[in-house]
Formats: sequence, structure tokens, C-alpha cells
Amino acid sequence: MNETALKANGITKYFHDPVTMQVLKSIDLDIKRGEFVSIVGKSGCGKSTLLYVLSTMDTDYEGTLEINGVNTTGLSQNHLARIRNESIGFVFQFHYLLPDFSCLKNVMIPALRLGKLSYQEVEEMAYQKLKMFGVEEQALKKAGKLSGGQQQRVAIARALVNNPTIIMGDEPTGNLDSKNTEIVFDLFRQLSQEYNQTIIAVTHDNDFAAKSDRVVEMADGEIIAHHKAGTFHQH
Amino acid sequence: MKTSVNTEIAITYLSSRKKQTVVASAGVMFGISMFIFMQSLMKGTNDYFEKMSFTNTPHIKLYSENKVADDHMLTGMLKDASQKILTNPKQLNESQGLTNPYGIIDVIKKNKQVAAVTPQVTGNVIYTSGSVELPGNVAGVQIDQEDKMFDVQGNMVSGNLHDLNRVHNSILIGKGIADKLSLHTGDNITVRAGNGNTLVMRVIGIFSTTVKAVDETKSYANISVVQSLIGKDRSYVTEIKVNVKDYNNAPAVARQIEAITGYKAEDWVKANEQLKAGFKIRGIILNSVIGVILLVAGFGIYNILNMTIYEKIKEIAILKAQGFAGKAVTSIFLQQAVMIGIIGGIVGLIIGFSLTYMVSRIYIGAGMLKYLPMSFYIPHYIEALAFGILTTVAAGYFPARKAAKVDPVTIIRG
Repeated sequence: MNETALKANGITKYFHDPVTMQVLKSIDLDIKRGEFVSIVGKSGCGKSTLLYVLSTMDTDYEGTLEINGVNTTGLSQNHLARIRNESIGFVFQFHYLLPDFSCLKNVMIPALRLGKLSYQEVEEMAYQKLKMFGVEEQALKKAGKLSGGQQQRVAIARALVNNPTIIMGDEPTGNLDSKNTEIVFDLFRQLSQEYNQTIIAVTHDNDFAAKSDRVVEMADGEIIAHHKAGTFHQH
Repeated sequence: MKTSVNTEIAITYLSSRKKQTVVASAGVMFGISMFIFMQSLMKGTNDYFEKMSFTNTPHIKLYSENKVADDHMLTGMLKDASQKILTNPKQLNESQGLTNPYGIIDVIKKNKQVAAVTPQVTGNVIYTSGSVELPGNVAGVQIDQEDKMFDVQGNMVSGNLHDLNRVHNSILIGKGIADKLSLHTGDNITVRAGNGNTLVMRVIGIFSTTVKAVDETKSYANISVVQSLIGKDRSYVTEIKVNVKDYNNAPAVARQIEAITGYKAEDWVKANEQLKAGFKIRGIILNSVIGVILLVAGFGIYNILNMTIYEKIKEIAILKAQGFAGKAVTSIFLQQAVMIGIIGGIVGLIIGFSLTYMVSRIYIGAGMLKYLPMSFYIPHYIEALAFGILTTVAAGYFPARKAAKVDPVTIIRG
């Protein structure tokens, strides 16, 4: 339980456009396996920027990043893509499903990319994930035809299909009503508790954050506080 | 399987945008069908003209060239280093015939590239029937060999050419002669040679080539008949005609024969230089037209893929976020280009073939040429498909590289 899932050391990042500006100031962050972490802060405090650095997609930073004990700083794009495919699942504010594909296919694509299972096994697993989120009836519909809440659930199913150790969310509930927000939160909670999966979510929703294991509060590119479960209150 | 997921995405993208796929494929299709049509027309025409030229000309013709007197005998006699000047040199009074022709034929036959060799005696004659006289030339040939080399049978209008060997003093005349002298198979014709010898011959057949000048002058007779008509002995042969297995090798074989025999060996390329020049010019015109068509098709594909990538940029970012490496993204878009190429290519092949077939049924009716000569040559189809796919890959490569370089962070964060 105390295994480290993600370890960031001295992450510093600059934006150069329009003027050079430091957005992340030597950030250190340790996240344990199975931990549910929310990152909160005002707009422009650098919380999303941090998430994209942690996700390995943004490689333009100083400092070091370790994921599941592997140092990812300086690895090639292809190598990083493989790591993302295998160990990291993403949920975005806007679901970002591929609208030309069926929901089932959307969920299957990352697993097919990973290529560890046969097509039939992937299909079965993807269907199980959809079932887990109660959207199995929509499996064969085009992703573009679903409601926002349904789409977000499919997107989460997609993030989970390769059983990644870390699930990252950029405002995962930002576009959902309170009922769907609750469903998504409960799913995340279940994933971290039952499946020992690490959740890192950037959110504006303080209620959502308050219920997580730890709340990382950021301001002006720095972490100003770590709040244990139940100690974070809306200011 | 790694490739199948890329392929699946490529197929889905293509099938969810049917209109654009069809337009892009149509560009390739048009290019390829034009390629096939033009190539077929050109090869058909070239082959036709080549074949036509071989109905009269052998691949190689060996003959004794008229020589003009030079100073080599003078040099041999005087044995000094002085400069000799011959004023007004004359043609040497040499026999028109080849020395030891059958020996030469045996030597030529030893060349592995040679397919057929036949001797010929040509005599200038005047044909007479009633009061009409007509100048021409009679070719003394071995008719079986001649038929093998020039398909005389294919030009026969009436009669049987093998009667030339069976009927005494028989002759095979061109249709022009028959018309002018009002002769039919079985009639007699009087043939007078340059030396005054006259022979009454039996017309055993009439032939017609497409060349009027040939039909109005040429006739065939047995070689021995012509030899006696012009008052020469059995070893008198004016030319030896050689066909080689691959007529494109004719110039090289001609050089070899020339070197061995010492006589002039003229190959068909030399004899038909303007024909060859025509082929070359048509080839250049054809290739530039096809090049332009494929270039335009290529730009079409380039544009459409570029637009697709612009539209799908978010989806590309998502794919990359989910662990699709740059080369996987390249593969997705390159595969779309290749699929467009294959779809357009195959339809293009079918349309190209149909077009070629339809045009080959158009009646022309000029001389022997009844229908447009179109060739159905398999390598054209393979070439067309290869060029088509090559163009699409080249056109798809740059947009695909661009897609691979999409930075997911900037796109997803907006």
C-alpha cells in the first residue's frame, strides 16, 4: 500500500509565450499507490500544467519525474507513449471520445494499441468496463450520439481499460451535473480502494476534492498545502 | 496486433468521410485509367507500326554495298608514303551478288540469337500483259522461309502461296499489279528482265500489303526461277535476310554479322529511323501527360489528408495521450493514403481496361487498319498501380508526418 506510484522532484517549468514566465516553481510531490489525490487552486496557479508534466505528455520541464519507480525524464517520445499506454489512464473535462467510433471501439482502442490481449479478449474486457459504469446498452452506438454524462462514463471506462496504475483527470467532473459528478466520484473512490489504482485529479470542485484522500493546494506555481482526508474545507 | 488497430482507425476515418474518400480516390482513378489508356494506345500503335515495318523489312538485311574506288591498290603497288589523290573515282565493277552466300548463311545460323535466315535474289523487271507494261521487281525467295519471316500467308488475297514450289514458272503478284494488268489467279503474265530475258509465268496467287508502292511493284517467285530469269547461276544471291529472336537485339547482331562476313548488315532500326524517332517523341508526350495527371491527383490527396488532419487534430491528440506514438499516428494517416491509392487504383485499372477495350472496338477502316490498335499488356497495369500507390504514399507522407508531430498538450489544453 505504501509503494510509490509517482514521484516528482523539483519540477520547474517556464512559459515563453508571450513573455517568459515561471509557472511551476520547484515542485516536489510523492503519490502512493492507491491514493486518491485532488489538486486544487485558482485558475492559472499551474495545477493543470503540473498534471500534464506528471502525465509525461509535457516534456518541457526541469526536475525529475518517476512513474512506478521508472525515471521518465529524458526518455524518448515513443518510450513515453508506451508508458502512458500501459500505466496511465486519462479523463478529460470534455470527454474527447472519437466520435466516428462506437463506444465499445473507443474503449478498445488503447487496449488494442497495447496489444497484450487478443481482439476477442479486449472486446470482452471493454464490454465489462462499460458494464461497470452502466453504459453497456450504448456499447454499439457511435460515441457522438450519447449524452454528456454517458460520454464521460465511457471516457472513464476507456481510461481504465489497460488497468493502469495511475488515472489522471483534468477536471473530470467539470462538465457534469451533480448527479453524474457523484457517480464519477464514487467510481474513482471504488477504483482506488478496491483496485488499488492511484487517482490524480485536477478540479475546481471543492466538494469533490474534500472527499478525496489528500488535497494538494496550489497557488502561483507552488504547493502551498497538503490536506489530509476530511481536513480540507472550502474557503 | 499492433498494425491492425492503426488500420482499423484508418478505415473508420475513411468510411466516416465517404465523400472526401470518393473524391480523393477519383483523382487517383482518373490518373491510373488515363495512364493505362494512353499506354495501351501508344504501345498498340507502336507495335502495329513495328509489325507493319517487319512485313516488308527483315530484322537484318545483309547485302553487298556498292563501293567507290579508293587508293588502296595504288598504295599497295607504289609502297611509299606519298599522298595519293584519285580524281573522279568511279564505282567498282563488282558483282551485286554475295560471294559464297550459302557458306555465309551457315555461319549466320550458328549465331544463337538468330531465328531465321533466308537468301533472296532481287531482279528489276517489267511486267507485261496484253499491251500494258508495268515496271517492278521480282523477289526470288524460298517461299516457306519467307512466309515464316514475313507472314506472306496473312497478306494473301487469293491463291495458295505453296503452289510456288509445285507449279513450274509460277509467280505471286501484288494486288496493285493484278488490278492494273487485270490479272486473276491462274492467268499468265509476261515478265521481262533487265538483260532482255523474257519468261511467261503463271499467277498462282495475289497478295495485298497495306503499302501501295509494294503492291504495285512486288512479286515473289522461286529463287531458282529468278536466278535463271536474270541470267545468273544458282549461287547468285543479292541479299540475305535475317530475323533474330528479339528484334531489339538486331543492331548488336547486325554488328556481329558485319564483322564476320565483311558485307553490309543493315538492321531494322537503321532502316526505320524515323519510326523510332516517332516512338520516342510519343513516349515523351505520353509520360509528361501522365506525370501531370498523377501530380494533380497527388495534390488532391495531399489536400484532403491535410484537411482531415486539421479536423481530427483533437482526436490525434487524444490518441497520443492514450499512448499512440508518433509513428503509429503516421501509420494511421499513411495507411489512409495507401487505401485511397488502392481503391482508386483498382477502380482505375478496371476503368482503364474498359476504356481501352471500348476504344479498340472503334472502327477506323484505313487500309489494313480496321480497328484502333490497342495493346492489352499486363505490365502496364502493374506499372499503373505501382505509380498510383507511389503517388499517394508520397502525397500522404507529409500530412502524416505533420499528424505525428501534433503536440497533445497544446491541443487538449486548448
